[in-house]
Amino acid sequence: MKTLRLFPLELGRLLRSRLTWLAVLLTVLSPAAGLTLYKPATASTMLSMYLANPAIAGGAAGGILFALLTVFDLDRARRSRADVLTDAAVSPLTMAWVRLLALIAAAALTAGLAMLAWLPVSRWLMGAVFDGVDYALAYLLFLGLALPLAILAAGAAYQFTRRTDLSLVLFAAFAGLSLTVWADDWQLCWLNPCVWALSDDFSNFRVFRSVAWMRLTWLAALAGAWGVSYLCIRQYGKGLLGSLARSVRRVWRPVIALALLACSGTAYAAQPFYDNSNPDLTAMELYELDYAEGVTLLDRTVQVFPDTDAGTVEGQAVYRFHNTSGKAWTACFGVDPGYDLTASVDGETVSAVRTGYEESNMALWEIALPADGEVELTLEYGGFPKDWNLSSTVQGDPEISEIYLCLENQRLFPYLLNVLPGEEGYPTTVEVTLPGAMLAIPFGTSDAAVVAEHEDGARTWRYASNSPGGILYAGDYVRQDIQAGGITLEFYYGRKHQAVMEAAGAADAVRAVVDYCTAHYGQLSFGAGDTLKLIQSRVAGGGYAVDGASLLDEADFTTVNLDDTGKGGGAGEVMIHELVHQWWGLGNMFDTADAASPWSAEGLTVYTTYRIVKELYGADYAQKHYVDQWRQAVDGYYLSFYVRHPDYLERLPEDKQLEITNALTYVRQYCEMPLKILKAEQLVGSESAMDQILRGLFNRELDPAYPYLTYQDFLDACGLTEEALDLG
Amino acid sequence: MELNIQNVSMTYPNGKQALKGLDLDLKSPSLIGLLGPNGAGKSTLMKLLVAALTPTAGTILVDGQPLEKAERQLKARLGYLPQDFGLFDELTVTQFLDYMAALKGLKQPKVAIRAVIQAVNLEEKARVPIRTLSGGQRQRVGIAQALLGDPPFLIFDEPTVGLDPEERIHFRNLFSRAAQERLVLLSTHIIEDVQSVCGQLVVMDHGQVLFTGTPEALIQSAASHVGVFWEREAGQEAGLHITARVNTSHGVRCRAVADTLPAYVQPSEPSLEDAYLYLIHLHSKEAAL
Repeated sequence: MKTLRLFPLELGRLLRSRLTWLAVLLTVLSPAAGLTLYKPATASTMLSMYLANPAIAGGAAGGILFALLTVFDLDRARRSRADVLTDAAVSPLTMAWVRLLALIAAAALTAGLAMLAWLPVSRWLMGAVFDGVDYALAYLLFLGLALPLAILAAGAAYQFTRRTDLSLVLFAAFAGLSLTVWADDWQLCWLNPCVWALSDDFSNFRVFRSVAWMRLTWLAALAGAWGVSYLCIRQYGKGLLGSLARSVRRVWRPVIALALLACSGTAYAAQPFYDNSNPDLTAMELYELDYAEGVTLLDRTVQVFPDTDAGTVEGQAVYRFHNTSGKAWTACFGVDPGYDLTASVDGETVSAVRTGYEESNMALWEIALPADGEVELTLEYGGFPKDWNLSSTVQGDPEISEIYLCLENQRLFPYLLNVLPGEEGYPTTVEVTLPGAMLAIPFGTSDAAVVAEHEDGARTWRYASNSPGGILYAGDYVRQDIQAGGITLEFYYGRKHQAVMEAAGAADAVRAVVDYCTAHYGQLSFGAGDTLKLIQSRVAGGGYAVDGASLLDEADFTTVNLDDTGKGGGAGEVMIHELVHQWWGLGNMFDTADAASPWSAEGLTVYTTYRIVKELYGADYAQKHYVDQWRQAVDGYYLSFYVRHPDYLERLPEDKQLEITNALTYVRQYCEMPLKILKAEQLVGSESAMDQILRGLFNRELDPAYPYLTYQDFLDACGLTEEALDLG
Repeated sequence: MELNIQNVSMTYPNGKQALKGLDLDLKSPSLIGLLGPNGAGKSTLMKLLVAALTPTAGTILVDGQPLEKAERQLKARLGYLPQDFGLFDELTVTQFLDYMAALKGLKQPKVAIRAVIQAVNLEEKARVPIRTLSGGQRQRVGIAQALLGDPPFLIFDEPTVGLDPEERIHFRNLFSRAAQERLVLLSTHIIEDVQSVCGQLVVMDHGQVLFTGTPEALIQSAASHVGVFWEREAGQEAGLHITARVNTSHGVRCRAVADTLPAYVQPSEPSLEDAYLYLIHLHSKEAAL
C-alpha cells in the first residue's frame, strides 16, 4: 500500500529531473536511427524498413538510455546523501520498489510519446500499407518492452554492486552480448529482437508472438534477477551478504525471485516456436525409412480447422490402407513438432508414439497397425505449429491469422513417410474451414471450392490432390484472371495491396510479360496445362514454384521497390521486372550471385524488361530510360576510384566498405550486365538471334546436380568469350 | 513514547567497537542532550535508534516492543536529522519537504510544510531550488524535514553546525519548545546548546555511558574539582587538566579540573562544561589505568 502511495510522488520527483527528460527526448528521437544507421530487419518491405527498424532501433537506444537513467537515479539519493533522510522515513526496500515503478512508468510514458511522435511519420512513410495494429504491436514489443527490461537489468546491477561504474560496465556487457553474439538468437537477443521482416500486405502475428515470448522470458528472468538483487539492498549498515541474510528472513521474497527465474528458464526451454530438428542438414532419415511391405494408401480425407485467433490448427485425417502382407505393421508419420496426435483404428484408440526424433521440421510418430487387409486409421491432430529451427533468424513462416495462412505439408496434415502410393498416387480430399474473407488457394494444380457456409460466416473449402503432401495458402486475397501467353493466369494478391497493384498496372504488366516471355523464351515449366496461379506470398525471402503455381514474394511489390528506377522507368516497369524473374530466376535458376561478378538473374531480367518496354513504348523510350542510364552508371563505375584501386577499399571501415561494395555490385548486376548482353546481342547479329539463344538456354536440359544457368553457359550459347563483352 | 536500550553493543565489520553494553532509558516528554567527544559512539547510538544499524548484541525496545518488530511504527513517529546528510538539489525547498512529507505519510502536508518553513525561517527561500542555498540554509531545511508532521520522537545530530549564533539560539528554543510534548534527543559538541535547554544529559565516551542525569547533577559531581590559578604559579603536578587559558594584564589565568586540586589552585564554581570535561578527564584516566 505504501509503495502505491509513494509511487506518484517518486514519479513526480523523477519527472522533475532534467536527466529524465533528456532520456525521454533521446528515446523518442531514437527510432530515426532505424531509418539510417541501424537496420536489423533486412527485408525490403515497407513495414520492415519503416516500422520494424525504427522500433527496434528505438528499443535498443531507449533501453540503453533508460539503463543509464536507472543507474544514475538509483545512485542519486546515495550520491547526494539524501538516502539517510529517506531511509529514516521509509525502508530502503520500499524505496527500491517505488523507484522501480517510477522508472517503469517513465518508460511507459516514453514509449507512448514515441508511438505518438512517430505515428504521422510512419503513416507517411508506409502509405497504403500502414496498419494500426502492426504499428501498435511493433512499438509496444520492439520498443516499449525493451525499456523495462533495461531498467530491471541496470537496477539489478546497481543493487548488487551499489557502484555506478560497475553497474554500467555490467549493463554494457549484457547489452553488448544482445547486440553482437546473441543478435541472431531469437531467444537471447533481449534488447534488439531478431526480426528480419514484417509483412506489408498480410499479418505479422507469428513474429509478434515470438518477440512477445522472448520479451516475457527475459522479463521473468530480469525480474527474478532484480528480485535477488532486491534482497541484497544494503540495510542496517550491513554488506551484501549481511543484507541478503536479513532480507531472506521473509521467505516469500526469495521464493518469488526464484519462481520468476524458474518461470524464465521454463519459458526458454519450452518455447513453442521452433523445433529441435536434427541440425545436420544432410540427414535424410525420415525420407529413407523402409516402406511398409505390401502396404499401399487407398485414400485419405482431411478436415482442417485453423484457429486464426490463436494461430493454431486442429484437424482430423482419415487414412485408408490396403495391406497384402498379412502382417501387422507400423505406419510412420512426419508431424509438425508443435502438434499433438491421437490415433484410432476403426473407432478403437491405438497407441501413437512420438519417437523424439525430429528432422526437416517434422516429428517422427509411429503407429502400430493390425495385419488386416484394409485398415482405416483416423488421426486427430493439432496444436501451435513449430517452425524449423534452421530458420529461426527468418521468423514468420507458419503465419496463421484471419488474413493469411500458409500450411505446408506436415502442418496441413500428418505426412505419411513409409507407405507407397496406390495406383492413383495419394488420393486426398482436403476440407479446410476458414473465416469468410479468406480464399483457399491450394499450391499446385488443384482448385478449391466452397462446399459449406457456416452461421458465423466461416466457409468450408474442399479440394482434391494426389501428391504425398500439400501446401495450402489462404488469405484475404484479390483474384484477377488474366489471359496471356495462351493460358489463364490466376493472379492472387493481398487486398491490402490492391491500390498499389492497380497503380502499378499489375494486370497489364502480367499480361505483357507472359505474352512476351512465352513467345520469346517458351512457357514456364511449372505452368500446368492452361492455368497458372501467381500467388503473392507473405514476405519469405524469395519465391518458388510447382506445377500450376508460382509464388511472388510481396517484398518485390512494395512501393519503394516499384519506384526503384534501376529496375524500370516506373512502377509498372518494375512490376514487369519482377514478373520476368518468373523466367529468369525461378524458371531458370542462378547460383547465389558472386559479389564480384556481374552475372546474376538480374542481368537477363533487366535486359528482358528493356526489351518488353521497347515493344510497349518504343525504342526511343527504352533507349532513354534503360540503355542510356546503364551506360551512364557504367561509365561512372569504371571511373570509380575504388574500382580502379580496390586495395584502397579494403582499408576502409567495414560498414563503409559494405556500403560501397553494395553500390558497385548493384551497378555490375543491374547496368553492366544488361549492357554486356546488349553488346552480345549486337555481336550475334540481331535481337531475334539473341532471343533464339535465350530461348535455347531457357529450355535447355538441366543438370540436376547443378541446375543453374551460368555466365559460361550464356557465353558458350552466344559463341563469345568474356573478353568480347568487355565494355571498356 | 519510551525507548529502552538494554545492554546494547555495536561492533563494526572492521572490528571497531563503537558501543559496549549500553543501557539507557529514554522517556517523553524530555529533551535529552547527548554529549561526548568524537568517537564516543553518539552517532552510532542514533543510527541504532533510527534502525539504520542493528546492534551486534542487546536489545532496543520501543514502547516495550523490540525495534526489529516496531521499525515501521518507529519510522512513522520519527523526525531525524543526521550529522551528514544531503538533499535533492534539483527540487525547491517546498518540493523537497513535500516529498519528505509524503514519505512520512502526512495527511495534510501543505499545512505541515508551511509550519516548518516558518519554524526554520525559510519563508523567503521556500520556492528556491535547494542547490542555490547556503550551508546554513541547507541545515535549516534538514531541521525542517525532521520537524515535519510533529513527530513524537526527534533525533538531532549536531543540528546547529553551520548556523550563526542568533540562529543557534533560535533553534535551541525551538527544540526546547518541541520537547514539552515529545522525546527529543540532541547530540552536540556545543555544551552551550544543551546547558540552557536540556532537562537530562547523557555523557558518553568510548562507547559507554559515563553519566545520565540532570545538568545540575553533572555540575554537582564536579564541585571541588574545578579551580583557577595563575600559570606562573603552577607546579608540575600530574592529574591537573587545564580546560581554559585566558590572557589577562596580570598574566595567563588558567582554569583546570582535577581529582584533588593542588594548593595553588583556587576552587571555583564549576560550569557544565567544566563538569563535562572533568567527567571525560576522569574516565580517560581510569581507562588508562
